[in-house]
Amino acid sequence: MSSGEVVTMVMKSAVEDDDAGWGLGIPEKMKNNANWVDITHEFKGACKELYLGELLHDKLFGLFEAMSAIEMMDPKMDAGMIGNQVNRKVLNFEQAIKEGAIKVKDLSLPELIGIIDTSFCCLITWLEGHSLAQTVFTCLYVHNPDLIEEPALKAFALGILKVCDIAREKVNKAAVFEEVRNVLQSEDFQAMTYGFKMANNVTDLRVTGMLKDVEDELQRKVKSTRTRQGEQRDPEVEVEHQQFLALFNRIKFTRLLLTALITFTKKETSSVGEAQKLVAQAADLLSAIHSSIQHGIQSQNDTTKGDHPIMMGFEPLVNQRLLPPTFPRYAKIIKREDMVAYFSKLIERIKTVCDVINTTNLHGILDFFCEFSEQSPCVLSRSLLQTTFLIDNKKVFGTHLMQDMIKDALRYFVSPPVLSYKCCLFNNHQAKDYIDSFVTHCSRPFCSLIQIHGHNRARQRDKLGHILEEFATLQDEAEKVDAALHGLLMKLEPQRQHLACLGTWILYHNLRIMVQYLLSGFELELYSMHEYYYIYWYLSEFLYAWLMSTLSRADSSQMAEERIVEEQVKGRSSKKTKKKKKVRPLSKEITMSQAYQNMCAGMYKTMVALDMDGKMRKPQFELDSEQVRYEHRFAPFNSVVTPPPVHYIQFKEMSDLKKYNPPPGSADLYMAASKHFQQAKLILENVPIPDPEVNRILKVAKPNIVVMKLLAGGHKKETKVLPEFDFSAHKYFPVVKII
Amino acid sequence: MATMIEENGPSTHQSEVSPSSQARQKLEGLLNKNMRIRMTDGRTLVGLFLCTDRDCNVILGSAQEFLKSTDIFSQGEPRVLGLAMIPGHHVVSIEVEADSLEDTQRFGANR
Repeated sequence: MSSGEVVTMVMKSAVEDDDAGWGLGIPEKMKNNANWVDITHEFKGACKELYLGELLHDKLFGLFEAMSAIEMMDPKMDAGMIGNQVNRKVLNFEQAIKEGAIKVKDLSLPELIGIIDTSFCCLITWLEGHSLAQTVFTCLYVHNPDLIEEPALKAFALGILKVCDIAREKVNKAAVFEEVRNVLQSEDFQAMTYGFKMANNVTDLRVTGMLKDVEDELQRKVKSTRTRQGEQRDPEVEVEHQQFLALFNRIKFTRLLLTALITFTKKETSSVGEAQKLVAQAADLLSAIHSSIQHGIQSQNDTTKGDHPIMMGFEPLVNQRLLPPTFPRYAKIIKREDMVAYFSKLIERIKTVCDVINTTNLHGILDFFCEFSEQSPCVLSRSLLQTTFLIDNKKVFGTHLMQDMIKDALRYFVSPPVLSYKCCLFNNHQAKDYIDSFVTHCSRPFCSLIQIHGHNRARQRDKLGHILEEFATLQDEAEKVDAALHGLLMKLEPQRQHLACLGTWILYHNLRIMVQYLLSGFELELYSMHEYYYIYWYLSEFLYAWLMSTLSRADSSQMAEERIVEEQVKGRSSKKTKKKKKVRPLSKEITMSQAYQNMCAGMYKTMVALDMDGKMRKPQFELDSEQVRYEHRFAPFNSVVTPPPVHYIQFKEMSDLKKYNPPPGSADLYMAASKHFQQAKLILENVPIPDPEVNRILKVAKPNIVVMKLLAGGHKKETKVLPEFDFSAHKYFPVVKII
Repeated sequence: MATMIEENGPSTHQSEVSPSSQARQKLEGLLNKNMRIRMTDGRTLVGLFLCTDRDCNVILGSAQEFLKSTDIFSQGEPRVLGLAMIPGHHVVSIEVEADSLEDTQRFGANR
């Protein structure tokens, strides 16, 4: 769906041959010629009395408004211009049947295969972001499947309509859960159906049934045309056999895809597993579909004069009048060769989405969403993930209460005594009240946080900035609850301590959000080179420093709790517990944060050094202010209480190199940067089971170590050619290239 | 009330009711009224008259485009354009609704 569409829905009325020419829904006065008075001569005459350059207009209308008018008879702006139109007649479905330009029965196998493949391509093009009017609904058959007599085509047309309907519904549902901060914000998949009928008069079950009937019939045909033992193979029959098989696979694929989507709409958690099996079955058919593409007919018209290829049964301009005037004439439909590759990736994504139900802890789900989002998945798979996670905006996966998941997350992260079964506070009425109320307040922001990662990358960044306000409120509450619980615990069980457990947990998430917000700016290519240095500074010297201390505090809290539990267990059991070196749950995260911190520090020092050597292009205009840019970049952090935002003046003081004696030169900074990259490399090489992310960072750290050493040695010092930053290996950390 | 943007200096005649200001008043009286304009390629636009200038370039608001009524394949439904500007040299005819013309300032109906 295109996001450029204006919300003016023109209902597609049933077409009737209207000889009067004005059609339905037009006020009578428009038709009635007698009411109109010709004033051409007088008007033109009056106009001549105006001065050159004078505009005659109402007080409320001016040049600003006039500027946005589309100019008629200008080929670029006037899509309806008669000379601009194509030479062929644009027929709708009923007209085409009348004219004999389209067949509704007795279609040959190649024709059916070609039409189905083109429809699949249109479906994919729609999912990729184009409007229904310029993709699926350029297929005339879906405008009114009742008129189709060929059973396979009829079933397929209904099938594809249902697929579109469910996909659209899923995407809308996913968008409904979001907090509507800005009412005018349009989701990237607007539900414009232009009044098209989406087979609402037929049930989902009926359509899958029809597809199955066609499938069974085709299976019989496939069997009857099969090679028989001892018989001479007739090449014509062999071709027919292949074509029946091709059609059979396509109908089956449609049925499986549709059934899988229908299954997703069911609310039971078991349906997710079922859906996964169905899409896997659909994927199995893809290679056979790919190898039979050549059996389908291609477009029939003459494309040598640059006209758009038109497939039989399709009319790309049939819905043109429903679209806003400045819409591009055609949407580029993907090629058939690419169709299978796209479906295969889509199915992989859907299978991945189905796996989410196997993750039952909150942090795990958050990480799942984050990782999934990094591949920039399509809107359909993202919506399926959203609606699987939170069914009807109530329970997670339809079974778990968000509050329970939050309590588990707290136990895992920071082991607060109040949630420990062995602690006296666990059953303390007042403590329970405090913690329950806090956890309830956390539910919505955490749901939002997870869902934010189900949006596209650009929107995610924007929303992450906004959610910091909510987390600031939570932080406030956490502090109060912490103080209250600490007080209670001191009185009841003085050897145990509840020290800012909840605050630590909220702070951890706060910092994660802030880090993600800044890093995603690199991915989205929002920052100019001369801004890199303060972004990386904020990350390495400030955010990651806080994150490290927060994680170690959480770790200590866990260890303290574990010691107490061990003591209690030791007291009861006579056996000596073996001292096994346990892997700390947060160790991986601490390690990765250290690595990231070093990478950011390395980049920060690199940028400062490059600037010192005059290798940085900076804005030179009169009203330039780095402070304004800086404040803008970190504006969303102003609502955060902990950590307190670093304002520009403060930043300048904290990062001032002159406080060192002697102040470092560029060579010193390059050397320091090199050491940071080296440190990152060491940390990452010690990770026991390296994941793809570790390898990606290493791909950047290793070359940068070398480049920095070279620069420190004065390599190419005199050249004023600007360095290049290559983000292809890692979207947050570039490999620095000196030309 | 209509205002006029004069890019070439203020108007010199402001005291008397000259033919040129009569012409302006007639045009002003048509502002925000329904207008039907036929273009050189046979299409017709219907919309609210918002602006014009010396070269008879006309801006219509909430404009709807009607194709030739004689085309048997035309669906007859208008295409909504919104704000549209018709260059003066593409204007074939201009029509307004009869009741838009006030009696006191008869434009000179051409039936």
